[in-house]
Amino acid sequence: MKLIIHDLTPEQEIEVLLPKQDTCVISDDGSIKPCIGCFGCWIKTPGQCVIRDNYGNMGETLSKCDELILISRCTYGGFSPFVKNVLDRSISYIHPFFIIKNGEMHHRLRYNRHLNMSVYFYSSGLTEQDRTIAKSLVKANAINLHGIVTEVLFEENAKAFGGRIK
Amino acid sequence: MSNLKIALINGSPKGKSSVSGFILDELKSYFDQQIITEFPFHASHSITTAELEALAVQDILVFAFPLYVDGIPSHLLRSLVKIENYFNGDPPELKVYAVVNAGFFEGKQTKNALDMMRRWSEASGVKWGQGIGIGGGGMLTSLRNVQNGKGPRKDPSLVLRALAKNATEGKSTGNIFVSPNFPRFLYKIAAELGWRLRIRQNGLHQKDLFTQK
Repeated sequence: MKLIIHDLTPEQEIEVLLPKQDTCVISDDGSIKPCIGCFGCWIKTPGQCVIRDNYGNMGETLSKCDELILISRCTYGGFSPFVKNVLDRSISYIHPFFIIKNGEMHHRLRYNRHLNMSVYFYSSGLTEQDRTIAKSLVKANAINLHGIVTEVLFEENAKAFGGRIK
Repeated sequence: MSNLKIALINGSPKGKSSVSGFILDELKSYFDQQIITEFPFHASHSITTAELEALAVQDILVFAFPLYVDGIPSHLLRSLVKIENYFNGDPPELKVYAVVNAGFFEGKQTKNALDMMRRWSEASGVKWGQGIGIGGGGMLTSLRNVQNGKGPRKDPSLVLRALAKNATEGKSTGNIFVSPNFPRFLYKIAAELGWRLRIRQNGLHQKDLFTQK
């Protein structure tokens, strides 16, 4: 399954995304709650967030996908608050125990799954610094989510990605 | 400098017992004559106009927050966007410092989050001072009875003291990354034991840590 997490408005979504089968789309319905840092998704309801809004099963959803596509306004070189909120609420995808990978500490996998990740950043007035930080961030995300970065693209507006997200 | 107005902004989602709060408490002890105002920006908090006005009259902002998915926790990010919008157009004369703590042992894994904070400062039209990245955050609060600057707290305390000095002098300088003065393999083992204990305290079994949905 392909998983798309985006912060587009409904109008932008129609312009940018083509309807596809076997694709799960996570968008902003205005109800998402922030992660409260309780680690309940590891030690109270393992594999599932304790906050039961529409974004409480993100770890499980990620476990069923082999391709993760993130479409986000580039915000200080990172994700927009909504996309970041979804990612923060997704940590049940990984396991609390640590492993050492490339000489650094990271979390071990909960699922035997490796994601392919593509990230599409948009924002007017993107600087070289934004791009550098964003690429470094996605690389770090891929290490921690045990994924592989397929591509990281930048555009001045979301519409420019229309028809290009496969 | 005395009478310097310093805001200590706690960006932990947790209202109490947070590592960020622990770090800010230590940092506070290194300030003397300055006027300190604390801003608790926890998960349930929505920034108010009064807080935006109060932030704009500070000389120094010090943010402390945990590393979340290699970046800034989303609840804090939402507040940062609001602060940027408030500052923009007529940015105040202030300098920004940030302390990011990571559960991972290596403080350098906070680099992306600190780069984003620096980028936020630029976007908001305010000056960047310095970033500190502290690894092994998971063990810091258990070291309450260890004196600042001693044992595993040696290097974390050293960099916090340096940040307090730089902030007081209004100095901009490079980021510093540290880890606790403690063997990494023992930190890893202790963390694992901690998770096994905590899941049992919740009435579950150790094997439940490995639940797949």
